[in-house]
Amino acid sequence: MYEKGRDLAAAFVRKQVSRRELIQRASQLGLSVAATSFFVNQAMSQAMAADFDWQKHKGTNLKLLLNKHPYADAMIANLDTFKSMTGMNVSYDIFPEDVYFDKVTAALSSGSSEYDAFMTGAYMTWTYGPAGWIEDLNEYIQDSDLTNPNYNWDDVLPGLRASTAWNGVPGGELGSADAKQWCIPWGYELNNVSYNKPMFDKVGVKPPKNLPEMVETAAKLTKDLGGPYGVGVRGSRSWATIHPGFLSGYSNYGQRDFSVSDGKLKAAMNTKESKAYHELWVKMIQESGPKNWSTYTWYQVGTDLGAGASAMIFDADILGYFMNGGDNKEKGNIHYAPFAANPAASAPTPNVWIWSLALSSFSGQKEAAWYFMQWASSVEHDLFGARKMDFVNPVRASVWKDEEFRNRIDKSYPGYLEQHDVSAPGAKIYFTAQPLFFDLTTQWAETLQKMVAKEVPVDEGLDQLAASVDKQLKDAGLGG
Amino acid sequence: MNQISTFERIVRGLLIALVLLFFLFPIFWILLMSFQTNEQILRIPPSLFFEPTLQNYVALLTGRLQTAAGNLDIAFMRNLGNSLLLSTSSVLLALALGVPAAYAFARYKFRLGESIAFTLLSFRFAPPLLVLLPLSLFFRQLHLTDTYIGLIWVYQLICLPLILWIVRGYFEDISPDIEHAYRISGHGWWKTFRKIAIPLARPGIAAAGLLAFIFAWNNFIFALILASASKQPVTVGALAFVTASGIQYGQIAAAIVLSVTPTLLLALYAQRYLVEGLSLGAVKG
Repeated sequence: MYEKGRDLAAAFVRKQVSRRELIQRASQLGLSVAATSFFVNQAMSQAMAADFDWQKHKGTNLKLLLNKHPYADAMIANLDTFKSMTGMNVSYDIFPEDVYFDKVTAALSSGSSEYDAFMTGAYMTWTYGPAGWIEDLNEYIQDSDLTNPNYNWDDVLPGLRASTAWNGVPGGELGSADAKQWCIPWGYELNNVSYNKPMFDKVGVKPPKNLPEMVETAAKLTKDLGGPYGVGVRGSRSWATIHPGFLSGYSNYGQRDFSVSDGKLKAAMNTKESKAYHELWVKMIQESGPKNWSTYTWYQVGTDLGAGASAMIFDADILGYFMNGGDNKEKGNIHYAPFAANPAASAPTPNVWIWSLALSSFSGQKEAAWYFMQWASSVEHDLFGARKMDFVNPVRASVWKDEEFRNRIDKSYPGYLEQHDVSAPGAKIYFTAQPLFFDLTTQWAETLQKMVAKEVPVDEGLDQLAASVDKQLKDAGLGG
Repeated sequence: MNQISTFERIVRGLLIALVLLFFLFPIFWILLMSFQTNEQILRIPPSLFFEPTLQNYVALLTGRLQTAAGNLDIAFMRNLGNSLLLSTSSVLLALALGVPAAYAFARYKFRLGESIAFTLLSFRFAPPLLVLLPLSLFFRQLHLTDTYIGLIWVYQLICLPLILWIVRGYFEDISPDIEHAYRISGHGWWKTFRKIAIPLARPGIAAAGLLAFIFAWNNFIFALILASASKQPVTVGALAFVTASGIQYGQIAAAIVLSVTPTLLLALYAQRYLVEGLSLGAVKG
């Protein structure tokens, strides 16, 4: 039976047998789901190993630095596949997200060789890359001796490939021809609307399609629901307040954070259109946002949606995804919709957060570490995570076409596939890459707080922000 | 004798009850949360009545938890063990080094004595993050990174100055005449130190030790930067319940209850020493 099971899985991986046939024949053979899945995984690894010497670094011990996240959990669940395919041993340190980047920064800035590869966000590589702490992965991806022929780098969504590549020049376009690939996209989130369907039905409203509609719908929900508030967005004094819904809507109006001319940056947050956008955003929070909005981070926005304290969020799609499961009160009630803030825009332009893998320049075994990274970002692992674990959103186009993954999502997360399919072509990082990113974006959030608290009018606040940002850019030698 | 009227007694009792309610309510609420599921905790409005569950404690003790994103591995008990080991060893080492040093600073005048004492105190002023990066470089060269010994050494930055300065004040408040009388009877300084000075200063030493333990227990950043995940204390471990897929409020509450228990028991046991020790050291006769 073992031989037959193995042959059946191999035929499935070679696409000679359909998924339906696989299930049918496996049950005829008396194979359990777990056993079938084991055979399929084994066959996939063997198929992967066929054209490439995965055993080249056999016996090597790798150490990873990971953030406590469902993406890391999915990798750990499948790690034995990598170990048996390569003969390498992999250990890892997992730290909670609250302290994770402190740990990464301390390890890299002290030149520690303890960790070979680690999880990072693309924004962080704007610091790590120019500092010489991480490797340019283009050199690895393009080397056929180091990268397996089935890696299919082009399968990774183009917006994500570009967003993780930068030439190191302040204001330089992400993904330009001379850009260095600082990290490999692993899993990502884009920003759209997640909403509570029963609450929307109760009030008789449809998910908003643009920002003016969102302001109106949120106000009606707040008024008519008598308890829950209309819309959840982040508001803490942090760069993370700007990057999700806020910047996604902002870029949809064609607005940028900076203008770049002759290599010099200039603040662009105080244009007429930007002021109009800020006015709407501030009004929406004042009328229909959470009471303690200025303390709101990812966690509060999500928790409120899951607990039924808010009717919708304009934030990461995967935040809405997580809140539709587990022991959340509103489990099963959350639906999803694409959102183009600008009524004149043809499609959404969501800003993205990309959990990525980076290779430490201080690693003593970079090649072996790259073997791990290409496995962890391979189609095979991406498929495993997307089908069986919460490895959403996958970064590969082929995985988004996978029938089993789509069926799983479609069944339990209504509208999720559609919001992604509509938005993915425009999904990328809309910030300008520059070394003062965290400081200046945090200041932007601070100004937003003052506007919502009515300490400063929107118009005046943005002029003050732009003047302050320009001064800081000039002091740092980045502005004109 | 002052006579307290019944009215005054009632008002006083009420005020004390109000103060107690103000300070103890958050702790009481956390205790209640630790026996609830996430869904019960996030109910709107919150309620004092619920069906208690032990699942949070079971998850912490067994190290497995079912969450929205599948099974969560919890290393909390290991974190708790690390905290106990690091704090206890650090305080014991700091007492062994700090008490004789405090005695020397209190009783003897020697060159640069005050400068040395102040330098040791200044360790408490240094922002840990500023010290940690150069320290991590030294630690790597000395192969102390990710070792308990290295961490206990670094924890002396917290414990040693505290013990030294509190106990020094205490020694200074004890009249040296008793020690002089003992020495005239033919005893050496070491015996005088052991038999006279230490027993007299015991409340102060206990108070300083307890405070140092609390500060060491609450430390967060040293182990985070200088050690791997397996050697993290509860202060870092408790953050693992805050994940991208949701916050496990119940487990956080249970973790707080478990992590507060050792210090609370120690503080209750040593309470009389703590108050006596601190207040006696504070007033000079």
